[in-house]
Amino acid sequence: MENTVKINKNVSIVAYYFKNAGRRLKGFPKLMEYEGRRVIFTETGLRHLVRKGQKLVHVFDMTDGSADYRLEFDTESLDWRLIYMADMNYGEPVATT
Amino acid sequence: MASLSLPLSAAEPEIMHIDLNSCFATVEQQARPLLRGWPVAITNRLSKNATVIAASYEAKTYGIKVGMRLSDARLLAPGLVAAETDPPKYNHVYQQLVRIMKSYSPATTMKSIDEGIIDFGDTREFVNPRPLVEIGHEIKQRLRDDVGPWMSCNIGIAPNRFLAKTAASLHKPDGLDVIDHKNLRQVFDSLKLTDLTGIAERNQARLNTGGIFTPLQFLDAPAQLLRHQVFKSVCGEDWYKRLRGWEVDNYETTTRMVGRQYVLEQRSLTEDMIRSRLSYLCETIGLKLRYKGFCARGVSVYVRYETGDYWYERQAFKTSFFTNTDIYRNTLLLFNRRPRDAYETEIGVSCYLLEPSTRSQVSLLEEVNRELWLTEVVDTINERFGDFTVTFAASAPSKSIVKQKIPFGSTKYFELLCQQS
Repeated sequence: MENTVKINKNVSIVAYYFKNAGRRLKGFPKLMEYEGRRVIFTETGLRHLVRKGQKLVHVFDMTDGSADYRLEFDTESLDWRLIYMADMNYGEPVATT
Repeated sequence: MASLSLPLSAAEPEIMHIDLNSCFATVEQQARPLLRGWPVAITNRLSKNATVIAASYEAKTYGIKVGMRLSDARLLAPGLVAAETDPPKYNHVYQQLVRIMKSYSPATTMKSIDEGIIDFGDTREFVNPRPLVEIGHEIKQRLRDDVGPWMSCNIGIAPNRFLAKTAASLHKPDGLDVIDHKNLRQVFDSLKLTDLTGIAERNQARLNTGGIFTPLQFLDAPAQLLRHQVFKSVCGEDWYKRLRGWEVDNYETTTRMVGRQYVLEQRSLTEDMIRSRLSYLCETIGLKLRYKGFCARGVSVYVRYETGDYWYERQAFKTSFFTNTDIYRNTLLLFNRRPRDAYETEIGVSCYLLEPSTRSQVSLLEEVNRELWLTEVVDTINERFGDFTVTFAASAPSKSIVKQKIPFGSTKYFELLCQQS
């Protein structure tokens, strides 16, 4: 079963990558430092915006291949926050037809 | 009166219906790559009695269907991953889809969060001279490029909205089909009556009593039979035209009611707790009313009991209202009249008799103006710092319990809903 751990702590994003997503060049986190660990993201799931009042927050759903991470970038304070991690302990994937 | 008789519409198929596949589940799998390949069910709450509102294609292979209880779904697929709805994520995908669709034609209508229609009728000659099948494949590719590689959609192209939706449901997932007068009979031959949008068990039974058992028989049925014997209304003629490819569904709906329901989280809530939930619902309704620029004159309240019975009462008032206080006051007036013989399981409030808001009209009565200004100030604060920052004291305990959920069908309040999430 899925193992989701809520963290909700500030983290450091020390490397970014950029790609043409949709109409414009967009930046994505590549390397995160959290509690002495370094996590290299291998894929971006989705990047979307959330308004909290008038504050704009960029939400990134990322994966490093062994766990999914949700990161939020606060455009006011310019802080990165790790919201949760979800590692996968599901068993075998389903064969799709 | 002469009976209606029409041939199959030979018009060019210029209506494109786009339907995201298992939208919420696919978006979750797009957002979280490790979920891809696993059966995923999306629910509004992560409780065992929650209803599955979207299932991934992997989950569907286990027989999991929309509307099923999560506990039942888990029995069918023990490794099922349940995820709670995340409206901002779906809003992002919705906005991307709208942007892609509008880049082809301004005649774009979103039918719900995950499906929309492009009418290419007026733009074929100068803007979109390419074959629509080619445009359809391009839209699929753009969706994958702009949102993510896991996203897919069904596309149907036909002369009217009904047939376009039917075409979009022929080959799931990721299909693209065209229905026109040449292949209409062939397509109908491969379908059941209940495969047609709008024909569920009751309409099927009606058709059966008229001697109609297949879509082809439905297509061949005379308009008179459908109008006078099967549907016994003008709907029969609409079906006659619809099946033949003539457009009858190109109309705009108007908002006549604004409401909210809530299934109480547990039995035996105290009166204060129920009133707190009710007050929260009233605030949400007030927010929706003001968002759409309406005021209301009527309130209806309903309560469902654990015995399965339900109580319902409505009342029209002399003056219109739109402030949270007025809505709550009028609601309580009715709510206090409810029978209290059994535990309540669900409560609901709706405002009706909607009319354009009169909030810009300054009243002669000072206390009315004060309430109006207070509402405006509270709305401004909530807009700045997030909804329900300033709220009724009675609503405060419910703020973290009653969550705004994804509505089926309409996208009228989707922006508002995403602000609240």
